[in-house]
Amino acid sequence: MNHLETLLVWLTVVLEAVLCGFVFARKAQRTLPFFAAYATTMLATTITVWFVYERFGFRSDTSYFCYWILLPLNAGMRILAIAELCRFKLRAYRGIWGLVWRVLGGISVLFFLHAAIDAWGQPNRLSIYSLTFDRDVDIASVAILAALLLIHNYYGLSLEPLQRTIALGICLVCVVDVIGETIVGNLFTGYLLPFFATNPTSVGSAIIHFYARMNDLWTTIRLFSFTAGVGMWCYALRKPLPEPAAAPVLLPAEVYRELSPAINVRLNAFNNRLVELLKP
Amino acid sequence: MMNDLSIVILLAIALSGLLLWLLIPRHGSSGKAAATFSPDLNETLPTAKHYGYFPQIRQALSVADSRYLVETAPSRVAKQALRERREVARRFLGGLHEDFSNLARLGRIIAALSPEVSREQETERLMLSLKFQFLYALVWLRLFAGTLPLEQLEDLTGLVGRLATRMDEAMSEISGLSAGQLPRNVGA
Repeated sequence: MNHLETLLVWLTVVLEAVLCGFVFARKAQRTLPFFAAYATTMLATTITVWFVYERFGFRSDTSYFCYWILLPLNAGMRILAIAELCRFKLRAYRGIWGLVWRVLGGISVLFFLHAAIDAWGQPNRLSIYSLTFDRDVDIASVAILAALLLIHNYYGLSLEPLQRTIALGICLVCVVDVIGETIVGNLFTGYLLPFFATNPTSVGSAIIHFYARMNDLWTTIRLFSFTAGVGMWCYALRKPLPEPAAAPVLLPAEVYRELSPAINVRLNAFNNRLVELLKP
Repeated sequence: MMNDLSIVILLAIALSGLLLWLLIPRHGSSGKAAATFSPDLNETLPTAKHYGYFPQIRQALSVADSRYLVETAPSRVAKQALRERREVARRFLGGLHEDFSNLARLGRIIAALSPEVSREQETERLMLSLKFQFLYALVWLRLFAGTLPLEQLEDLTGLVGRLATRMDEAMSEISGLSAGQLPRNVGA
């Protein structure tokens, strides 16, 4: 690691510690338990990886296994935090929640199946499995967040500022990860693969040197984005959390049963009239 | 040809762009309207704002007026007047779009505040809204190209007007529910 990367890693550790401090000081674990668990896991994994690097060396097998096993763990906790965001506001709206959780669940199952199949088809290396799975889970995370926000928009709802900042931070981290992991994954599984299997030649060494520089660059960018994401969450949690919003007063079920079909019939009539307008 | 790498990167950027756009808080959106359903909703969610100008628009778009213009005014003036009438018609069509959107939004807000929601009804409304957007774009293009007779808009405005009136009535009845009154029939 170069000096900038070391500095960014330290900054990340400090920010993660601050985030955990804010989360528990503001008692955010009561309203967002999975986000609190995600923040704690991030800090724990960063400290563990750092400790293993220091103890066993950056190039050791222990460091290799430790990093690539902890990466999907972090991704899993992030998924739980996103699931919590999905449920946070919509659960109060019982009717649409009953409809929407199936849509979001369907999207999640599709993306996670794709992640599993994609990782399964990769060459037999733990790093490539983890990288591919993490990349696909990142894409799934952004897609689920986009679907969630589209549903909010469609039904005229909005996320609370804290939840919006959490979503924005996750989006930033995931998008940069997706781009970086796709490029790094391509290098792993593309023309560099033979050099992992056989003794490196002089050309191989040159390419691996190039790969190492690319990897350094992406690590730096990734650390920047991750630091920015954690920084955003810290900023959002700097003030005490507002009181939870009162649950909405729902209408009697009869209103929907009677009005909704009537509205749809008229919307349909309007469309029919537009079709007539367009006839030659 | 695009490889996997380009596709994934473009997908990630497109998704994040969509997400950022969705995360921008919208002032004056119906977010608060859905959260609280008060009698003031009639003011925050106008259902037929543009329909109120219907009589003037009908007069301006009438066939008789067009004939009179073509027969009596100089050619250049008549063309200019017809162009302006089409511009008025386009703006009015935009207003009708807004009225339609408000009516559809009313349906969505009612759904959000309902303890039970029908999957079929919601899917149908979504499809109707998408279809409307598509048809509206086609009508707008034809109006822009000058191939849509202006008098046909009369039928459209009539329909929206009836819709809006019934929805206003329904809104008043639903607003009454917040005071604890449940009418026997709230259907529009």
